[in-house]
Amino acid sequence: MSTATGYYRTGDSWLHRRNPITKLLAVALVLLATFLLPAMILPVIGAILAVVAWSTGLGRAIIRALRIPAVLIASIILINALFFPGATTRLVSLGPLAITREGLTFGLISAGRLIVAFFVLVTFLFTTLADDLLESLVSRGVGHRIAFIVLSAVQMVPRMQDRAGSILEAQQARGLAVSGSLRQRVRALVPLVGPVLLGSLIDVRERTFALEARGFGARPGRSAYRVVPDPPSDRWFRLVLLVAIIGVLALAVTGALKR
Amino acid sequence: MSTSPTSKNAVVGKTRNQPGASDLVLEDVSVRYVGRREPALSGLELTIAAGERVGVAGRTGAGKSTLAMVAAGFIPRVVRAKLSGRATIGDVTLGGADAGALLGRVGIIFSTPANQLSASKLTVREELAFGLENLGVARGEMDIRIDRVMARLGIEHLAEREPFALSGGEQQRVAIASIVTMGTQLLVLDEPTAQLDPGGSASVGRLLDELARDGTAVLCAEHDPAILGGLDRCLVLDAGRAIANDVPGRALSSDHLESTGLIPPTLVRLAEAAGLDAIEAFHHNAVARALAGVDAARLDRVAQTRGQEIPDSTLLGARRHVRLAIEGLAHRYPTGLEAVRGVSLVFEPGETVAIVGQNGSGKTTLVKHLNGLLRPTDGRVALDGTDIIGTPVHELAATVGLVFQNPDDQLFDRSVEREIAFGPRNLGHPEASIRRSVVEALAVVGLEASRQVNPYDLDLSLRKLVALASVLAMDPAILVLDEPTTGQDDPGVRRVGEIVDAAARSGRTVIAITHDMEFAADHFDRIVVMRGGLVVSDGPPTEVFAPERAALLASAGLEPPPAARIGSTLGLGSTPTVPSLIAALTARAQPTAPPGGG
Repeated sequence: MSTATGYYRTGDSWLHRRNPITKLLAVALVLLATFLLPAMILPVIGAILAVVAWSTGLGRAIIRALRIPAVLIASIILINALFFPGATTRLVSLGPLAITREGLTFGLISAGRLIVAFFVLVTFLFTTLADDLLESLVSRGVGHRIAFIVLSAVQMVPRMQDRAGSILEAQQARGLAVSGSLRQRVRALVPLVGPVLLGSLIDVRERTFALEARGFGARPGRSAYRVVPDPPSDRWFRLVLLVAIIGVLALAVTGALKR
Repeated sequence: MSTSPTSKNAVVGKTRNQPGASDLVLEDVSVRYVGRREPALSGLELTIAAGERVGVAGRTGAGKSTLAMVAAGFIPRVVRAKLSGRATIGDVTLGGADAGALLGRVGIIFSTPANQLSASKLTVREELAFGLENLGVARGEMDIRIDRVMARLGIEHLAEREPFALSGGEQQRVAIASIVTMGTQLLVLDEPTAQLDPGGSASVGRLLDELARDGTAVLCAEHDPAILGGLDRCLVLDAGRAIANDVPGRALSSDHLESTGLIPPTLVRLAEAAGLDAIEAFHHNAVARALAGVDAARLDRVAQTRGQEIPDSTLLGARRHVRLAIEGLAHRYPTGLEAVRGVSLVFEPGETVAIVGQNGSGKTTLVKHLNGLLRPTDGRVALDGTDIIGTPVHELAATVGLVFQNPDDQLFDRSVEREIAFGPRNLGHPEASIRRSVVEALAVVGLEASRQVNPYDLDLSLRKLVALASVLAMDPAILVLDEPTTGQDDPGVRRVGEIVDAAARSGRTVIAITHDMEFAADHFDRIVVMRGGLVVSDGPPTEVFAPERAALLASAGLEPPPAARIGSTLGLGSTPTVPSLIAALTARAQPTAPPGGG
């Protein structure tokens, strides 16, 4: 039942011990650098992320999580390689279609950016307890409704996966064939989607009730029981990250101006 | 479980005379949901004083949940509905109160254990602190309050556990504790034990006793007579109106319930037949003593509790007989959990078998092997001697029909009729036969009038019947039901029981997982008791629920049904059902009959 804590993997690595806000800033930095800076930077970011991931002992788990966007990434590469508009340099001809150099490059860069973005988010989710994130956000003045939405978003996907599993079983028990031709598989989705969405809504409703009953956000002046770690080194860390974020933004702007 | 209501009279007397500063007072309260013509509650009067525990009984849709929401101050603030009349807790008006004013006065618990927790805390202690944080309690004071409540409610041992790794019963107790920690004076519970196993239900029941002793008021909507019987008073609702508000024995008597379609709990029926004052109806020993002294002829009418007859149907007509065998089955999940550890069972055609045991004893894992949803780590499952290992689930569905506990995992279509047609269509039945199956399945579950209705416009107990019908329509030779009676009201339970009986008469095998021992004893030839992934007891109800096996049953976290316990107290031998109890009493009363064991 790991679903209750979202994606969090219990651990005590240096990354686990960082304050959630620090990690949130780091995620922002990586995302900005990934999408705003030239693609040359991607291998560097990738290497840093890999080292970070391995140092937490979660490297394998994070790599396994990359299965989730695998189809999307493959299709981005494939579609761009084959159908990139205005591409001229043919690498391989496949009948009426051809893989073009421009298309392949663009596809690989887009895919690389997506992988890096996914990687950094997963690393964040795996090492950050949703509750600590909630607590840090609220203590920094973020409204409780927004904090609840963040919390729900973090927890929703694993919960939906769980539910989808039971629904799939229930429909197979009614003779639904979930394997076979593509057409069959797509048709098999129909009886699954409704209950998944509806079940999630019922779930959210019940959980909202439970939070209401405990007075979440009912009064100003909330206090905190759990002390979210914020070691002095984190303050320095955040300063460095902020400077780096400003640096990336500056580079992006000047780079754009030069062009 | 016959908890004696302590100082009941004193408390009732107090409420009638002087309303206290924290009493719940409802005067002429009516509620109408947006877009509904009929009110969900009308003209309700209710007062609950400190330390008083009031149960709410009634059919599904009678207004129990609505009453709970009103008392918790959820209407109209959280749930949109029009509230009229006067509803107050102490000096706070419920209808308009802002959330802050109600904090620490009232809290509510619902039936899904996992959803009652904040779902983000790593320890029970932090979970209990959540409410205090929202109240703005100083950190230094939190641990003192948390420790006090955990000690009072006997959950200290859970303090450092992970909330999401607890059993359902433990989770509900933690959820209750988290409300109580906030200093709550009124605890509202909406079917808190609906999803718990018997051990979990009993622990929640004991907790409610404990709370009342310290002055917390309790309002508890429930179906389980074991819980209702232990409370001070019981309010019976029918179509939004209160038809009784009295001590549980009287409120749940046949006089009051006759018009509602509910049948009084077994103990109450026995007490009535024995001429015992209804006030003592839930006192197990008093009922047993009264029965011992009563003329056996008076008891006959108690045995007759037949409900609706199931119409004749080809779905429950003759069917090819299939023999199901489980051989040395073991299942280990990828997490390493060994849920089933070597089970061998044979189910003959036409047999009805109830599988009972605590949550986590391996029941659901076991039945998921019967239609191939899970594949054994070891051992095999065979239909008529053939291993099912190579057959896909959707093909096995034609022979083994599995109805899941939660109908919402299953229902998706826009009408009941289309929903029921889904299974037979998947199996490739011809159109004409599908149409016939739909009509018959609807008739079997008694939902002919709801053909065109969207399943989600029906309440939970009817949705469960739709899910059952949707599997019946596939005409399986073996019917497997996972908790068919949870969330089901009394007439619903009887309906399911009659379907089980009818299916078995036609030669179909029925296997059901259930937490309801009375349902198991009344409708099944054979009871299989599971504990820790193994079968620890297997035999007809008279054997499994026999007094000699009570200790074994208790080791699996179970208790025999009420009739069995009365029979055991009176030394009548094994009497798992009311008719068998009456037969034993009659036999003992006749001088010619041999003495009945005690």
